[in-house]
Amino acid sequence: MDIVKNIILTGGSKGLGLEIATYLLNSGYRLHVINRSMPKELEQLQKKHSDKLFVHLFDLENAAELLGFLKTKFPASEPIHGFVNNAALAYDDIVTNLNLESLEKMYRVNVFTPMILTKFVLRNMLYNKISGSIIHISSISVHTGYKGLSMYASTKGALEAFSKNTAREWGQRGIRSNALVAGFMETEMSGTLSDDQRNRIFNRTSLKKPTSKESVAAMVEFLLNEKAASVTGQNIFVDNGTI
Amino acid sequence: MDKIISIINKVLENNDKSYDGIFTEATSLRNDIGFDSLDLAELTVNIEEEYGVDIFEDGFVETVGDIMTKTSN
Repeated sequence: MDIVKNIILTGGSKGLGLEIATYLLNSGYRLHVINRSMPKELEQLQKKHSDKLFVHLFDLENAAELLGFLKTKFPASEPIHGFVNNAALAYDDIVTNLNLESLEKMYRVNVFTPMILTKFVLRNMLYNKISGSIIHISSISVHTGYKGLSMYASTKGALEAFSKNTAREWGQRGIRSNALVAGFMETEMSGTLSDDQRNRIFNRTSLKKPTSKESVAAMVEFLLNEKAASVTGQNIFVDNGTI
Repeated sequence: MDKIISIINKVLENNDKSYDGIFTEATSLRNDIGFDSLDLAELTVNIEEEYGVDIFEDGFVETVGDIMTKTSN
C-alpha cells in the first residue's frame, strides 16, 4: 500500500468483526471500529495496535443520532478509504411470531444505520476525491432459506440491493460497493442453534463444515484493496459452496 | 458570493466541466452551469465543509441565489 488507508468497521469486538479487525490491522490499515461496548478482546487488540486502532463507542440502534456522532468523530479533512458494514442483530423466529418492536430494532441496526453510514462515507470520499470501497457483510440465508431466518434474511437482502444500486450510482466517481455473502460460521450469532440444526446447515455446503472466519476476513481485505479495482456491484459468496 | 463561485468552479474543474457565463443569483445550477446530481452532491459536501450547512437537507436547491440564502441563515 502506498499510503495508510483509513477504514471504518462496525461491530468489531467479537466473532467475524474481531477477525476482520485483526486481519486488517495485520495488513497495515488504520482502523476505526464503531462498537457498542469495549470488551477485553477489543481492548487487547487496541493495546497491540495502539497507533492504528481507534474504537468509537456508539449504539448502532440509535439511527437518529448517528450522523451527528459521525460528524464529531470524523472530520471531512480526514479521508475515509473504506467502510466495512459488519454489525448486525439476528432476531430469529418463525414469521407467525413476528414482534414489531424486535423487527424495527433489527432493521435499525442492520439496514438503516448502514445506509446512513454509507451516506456519510460517500460524502467524505467525494470531498477527498477518494475512489473508496464499501463492503456489506450479507448472509447466505438471503439465497438459501432457513426456518426462522426470514426476517433476518430480509434485512440482508435489503443490503444486497442497496449495495448493488450504490455501486451503480457512484461507479462514475470510482467508488465501489460489494456485498460479501458469508456462510454459517462458528460465531455467537449462530450459537443459539442446536447441534442437530448446525449439522444440517453444514451438510448443505459442499465442504460440509462451518465457513472459515479468516477466509471471510481475507476476502474483505481483497475487496478493500486496489487489487479488486474492477470488482463492484457484486455479491461475493464465501460460504463453503452452499448447495 | 465569491466563495460560493469558487467552490462551484472547483467542482466544475474536478469533473472536467466549464461554465463561461456570468454568475448571478438566478444562475441555475443544472440548466446553466450543467451540474448533474453527482456534481450537486460534490458541491453539497464542499459547501457543508465551508459553511457547516447541508444545503440539500430540506428541499431543492436550484440556483446560486438558493445556496446564498441557505448559507446565510
